[in-house]
Amino acid sequence: MDAVALDDLLGSSAREREESWRYSKNAIRALTQQTFATAPPDATLSAETLQRIDLPFTRGRRIVIVNGAYSQRYSNIGELVSTIRLHHESAQRLKITISTGCADPLHLVYVSAPAGSASRWQADCEVELQSGSAGLIEQHVGEAGADVFGTLTSQITLGPGTVLRATMISDIPDSVSLLRKGHCTVGNSAVFAATHAHFGGRLQRIESRIDLVGTKSSCSSRGVFVLRGREHVDVHLDVRHNARDTRSNVFWRGVADQRSRGIFHGAITVAAGADGADAQLSNKNLLLSANAEIDTQPVLEIYADEVKASHGATVGQLDERVLFYLRSRGIPAAAARNLLIAAFCREVFDGMAIDVMREYLDAALVARLPADAGMP
Amino acid sequence: MMLKIDNLHVRVAGKEILKGLTLGVKAGEVHAIMGPNGAGKSTLGNVLAGRAGYEITQGSVEYNGANLLALEPEQRAAEGVFLAFQYPVEIAGVNNTYFLKAALNAQRKYRGEAELDSMQFLKSVREKLRVLHISDELLHRAVNAGFSGGEKKRNEIFQMALLEPKLAILDETDSGLDIDAMKLVADGVNAMRDPQRAFIVITHYQRLLDYIVPDFVHVMVDGRIVESGDKSLALKLEEHGYAWIAERKLAGVA
Repeated sequence: MDAVALDDLLGSSAREREESWRYSKNAIRALTQQTFATAPPDATLSAETLQRIDLPFTRGRRIVIVNGAYSQRYSNIGELVSTIRLHHESAQRLKITISTGCADPLHLVYVSAPAGSASRWQADCEVELQSGSAGLIEQHVGEAGADVFGTLTSQITLGPGTVLRATMISDIPDSVSLLRKGHCTVGNSAVFAATHAHFGGRLQRIESRIDLVGTKSSCSSRGVFVLRGREHVDVHLDVRHNARDTRSNVFWRGVADQRSRGIFHGAITVAAGADGADAQLSNKNLLLSANAEIDTQPVLEIYADEVKASHGATVGQLDERVLFYLRSRGIPAAAARNLLIAAFCREVFDGMAIDVMREYLDAALVARLPADAGMP
Repeated sequence: MMLKIDNLHVRVAGKEILKGLTLGVKAGEVHAIMGPNGAGKSTLGNVLAGRAGYEITQGSVEYNGANLLALEPEQRAAEGVFLAFQYPVEIAGVNNTYFLKAALNAQRKYRGEAELDSMQFLKSVREKLRVLHISDELLHRAVNAGFSGGEKKRNEIFQMALLEPKLAILDETDSGLDIDAMKLVADGVNAMRDPQRAFIVITHYQRLLDYIVPDFVHVMVDGRIVESGDKSLALKLEEHGYAWIAERKLAGVA
């Protein structure tokens, strides 16, 4: 990937870039100054990675992308129904057209596999849902080793009356950086419901723009990040109500321990004429260490007349009174902390339509909590 | 002696609250501690349970022959100390059943006992629920979340019944309860009275002691126990008020 392409990703004007990256300035500067070779698309994956991506409920519907390139070797698409078509404009450009939805989710896996020295990949994915409802799991995993820097641009187009339930999960080591720029366009009466869980990474930037262009279209973005060490996650949501009677619900939670860094920027814009819009935003964060930092920035811009909107954002710590209550009943301090952190995060997974996926996210969450404590 | 508090001095935020409190409690006994607001009654409960922020400047607390103050709150719980909170906290997102099972099994694990499986646990829970007239529905909610004042207090007693402590400290469990709820709480406590178990019942009013009849009544004023007696002392207090004790105390000093 050349420098110009990266510039486009960071923001077109210098001012826009400055504003958008203000909390991740140093992290992105270090990346742009580092030298990366092209990541090998034919990397061999470890048995551990293969096990992690082998969700039993997506066998036969799994598309694996290794270092940005479609991998025939690792993909498992034997059970893809005929209403789902894959087109490859190139190995790095994938287009998925779903003419009629189906009950079983499609599983997209992006693997960042290190080379001998720092390497970089770029990919683009386009998904179009023409009718019915469908499930999509976008999973990012990485193997430890030399630095890997991946960038993914994606476009999702939801036709009238369609429903897409998307689960976005990343669990990557701190040698991997990911830049993801997603754009979803939601048509008349269509629903885009995304649930995110992000763990780890040297720098993870998750940009998600959702355009509610159809009348009565709606979206929900629920997500959580849980960070430790020097991990850095920067979430930028940009929800735009551009039609009448649209609804959005943004519900994010963040947890930062040790020297990690979390950023949540949630912007909701209700355009002039988009009357009857309902926009809710809630962002709560938990700091577990004096050296961790979380910045939250909810931005609500309303240009229409009849709008129902609310937003709230907090950064706090575990409640000592609650911790004492748990301990006074016999639950050891470290386990009590885990219990409260898990409860704080689990709110995000409540009401997920796919039970197996909720269980999977829950297990991933529990695995991220301090292990020495154990869960009671 | 199960609990032996000797000349206990405790500071909170630099201010001395307990000023030489001495109290002995044997297994099987019920001790009531009464006193006006600000006497240090709740401080005593919190210090025994191990809450942070209390500085012990002098004195000692022995529990079954060991230094209680050296133990972490969770160790005290597993050793059998239970505090029914005056203000039980709400814990959003933590299911009541899950919490109780985690607490019970953490205590059992500490004591080297086998952990209960879900079936055994639920059986035990159902028995205790019946005694306290608590509906099953409470179990499926988050801990104390959206509970009424009375439900919170009953939930404390329910937890006590389930955890079966050796020393239960009830911190103004009667406050905010109507007479029916108070009777339920008293029934729960009375059902647990046992030669192996002791209670310290902290209360502001004599009324609770009509239902939980204590073996001893202590009057606490200004961080010390100034008067001890049997249950008739509570009735005298009811009649004359705390001012009467304060006067007697002053007269004694003079």
